[in-house]
Amino acid sequence: DARTTSPGVIKVPRNFRLLEELEEGQKGDGDGTVSWGLENDDDMTLTQWTAMIIGPARTNYENRIYSLKVECGPRYPETAPVVRFVTKITMNGINNSNGTVDSRSIPVLAKWQNSYNIKIILQELRRLMMSKENMKLPQPPEGQSYST
Amino acid sequence: GGEGGAGGVQPPPSRDFQLSLEIDAGEGTIIKVTVKTPKDKEEIAIAEDSSVTQFKEEISRRFKAKQDQLVLIFAGKILKDGDSLSQHGIKDGLTVHLVIKTAQNTSTSSSTSTPAGSLHPLPFPAGGFGDLSTLAGLGMGSANFMELQQQMQRQLMSNPEMLSQLMENPLVQNMMSNPDLMRQMMVSNPQMQQLMERNPEISHMLNNPELMRQTMELARNPAMMQEMMRNQDRALSNLESIPGGYNALRRMYTDIQEPMFSAAREQFGNNPFSALGGGSESGVQPSRTENREPLPNPWGPPNASNPPESAGGGGGGPAGGTRMFNSPGMQSLLQQISENPQLMQNMLSAPYMRSMMQSLSQNPELASQVMMNNPLFAGNPQLQEQFRSQLPVFLQQMQNPEALSVMTNPRAMQALMQIQQGLQTLQTEAPGLIIPGSIPGIPSGGSAPTENPASSPSSAGTPPNVAQQQLMQQMLQMFAGGGNQTPEVRFQSQLDQLNAMGFINREANLQALIATGGDINAAIERLLGSQPS
Repeated sequence: DARTTSPGVIKVPRNFRLLEELEEGQKGDGDGTVSWGLENDDDMTLTQWTAMIIGPARTNYENRIYSLKVECGPRYPETAPVVRFVTKITMNGINNSNGTVDSRSIPVLAKWQNSYNIKIILQELRRLMMSKENMKLPQPPEGQSYST
Repeated sequence: GGEGGAGGVQPPPSRDFQLSLEIDAGEGTIIKVTVKTPKDKEEIAIAEDSSVTQFKEEISRRFKAKQDQLVLIFAGKILKDGDSLSQHGIKDGLTVHLVIKTAQNTSTSSSTSTPAGSLHPLPFPAGGFGDLSTLAGLGMGSANFMELQQQMQRQLMSNPEMLSQLMENPLVQNMMSNPDLMRQMMVSNPQMQQLMERNPEISHMLNNPELMRQTMELARNPAMMQEMMRNQDRALSNLESIPGGYNALRRMYTDIQEPMFSAAREQFGNNPFSALGGGSESGVQPSRTENREPLPNPWGPPNASNPPESAGGGGGGPAGGTRMFNSPGMQSLLQQISENPQLMQNMLSAPYMRSMMQSLSQNPELASQVMMNNPLFAGNPQLQEQFRSQLPVFLQQMQNPEALSVMTNPRAMQALMQIQQGLQTLQTEAPGLIIPGSIPGIPSGGSAPTENPASSPSSAGTPPNVAQQQLMQQMLQMFAGGGNQTPEVRFQSQLDQLNAMGFINREANLQALIATGGDINAAIERLLGSQPS
């Protein structure tokens, strides 16, 4: 439903947004360091998304491909999606045992705006990998996943 | 459900996309898929009903990587070999991301060139210091050369004081404070040029005066250099701790350092400054500084031909100060130089050597400073005086290619040495004979310092007179000319010319010609009383 929270601003309906994001994810524009798409092609609700982040160079994440799951709830994009890592990772703000991303620790999630999208979340996570506090954290062996 | 409820629009499932395309395209159509890595992009034509495996085959060909190194990502999913492209919804015009898993991961890191780039402002780490000796093992140049360098290297390493003294020498500092000179020097070096071609960043570095100045500041100030090196080492060790880091380091070294070091080494002796931790830009520099010593001293190389004595004499030498030139390392350097004329040739032919000579000859003060620093003269002020007056002559001769070729001629050197020895003998046998005490005094400075005090008192007794000077000049002349003609004969034509010009004082003419090495113009100037330039 297209309520407007502030006068004069029309909110884009959820599905429009998600379809746009789907298309963008398929086009694969950008530098190729993040990727996202529907987990299931027949997901009519466009809720379950899967994403990839390629670990940045010169960090302990280098050369790794991190798989994530992004859940865009019914109130997306007003509400931030729920993000969690599938591939094991050691990083501030990521739960060690199940890979869930703590919304309060990731800036774009903590200060979510409805103009943000999945791509921005992924890029932010990747940027955080390059931060001093994260880049040298010892990582678990490659190829391990959290048991959901 | 409510999800699709906004505005009543049903989200078209991806099936619809497929449907529309299937209308347009038949089965087995070729689609063009863009495959993108962080660094590369290729458009690959593939049948739309292909499997991921088939797709990877094509990709491996195009990207020159093994299939099992390829990881394909589309819309946030990794494409497994058993899947088909259509299963993932890969259509014409879409982009698939490729990650090539290599051991060193060059293709997946988005900015691999920066590790190399970021090091440029700094001198190259001295971490390669130890590796220099392995480079030597690669057999560049003659074996003598390498040993020589290693020796010098060791020498300087073991005696940092010597090095710092070298640095403090205002001469060196003077040189270093002139960025243009340095740059010119480096650029004129063919190896450097080659290197610059291969590695444009180097030329960029050279072209950046700020950078040069910084580097030279560093080279000038050993303390600062050390500090810098320490910082760099720390940074480097940090780098090492990162998984890909060590490899990046190694790559850096092999791509950058090796060529620089090998180029510098061929230039004979960047090693001394490696002790300071300097890179090759400061490395080319000290090679000049090091090598200056044997050359300007014409008596130097013949000195070294007395190996046992020089070694013995050199042992007493290194007592502080600028005695480094008498140190065993230097002695062996001299020795090796005389043994290996090729070495000498190399040194002399190095362009910076020429420019150094030129600047030396143009700047008598500079040259005299150099001479005076030579410990051979240190104990003998009289000698210094004489030498100083001979300086212009001498310098000109250094420019004289004949002189240079004589120096490279071992037999000539030996002959010269014999002359000196003969003079020495003469002096002891017939002290009454007026012989320039300076001449035997000089070689004995290197070969047997004990003789020096013996001979200098004798020369101290006789004030340097014109005859001695003349004789010395003649010696120099002979040395330069390498011939047995008397100056008169040699300068016959010049004498005639001078005569025709109106200079009728034959003796004065002759002296002037001898002093200027046959240069008529300079002789005229001399005759007219002005300092030859």
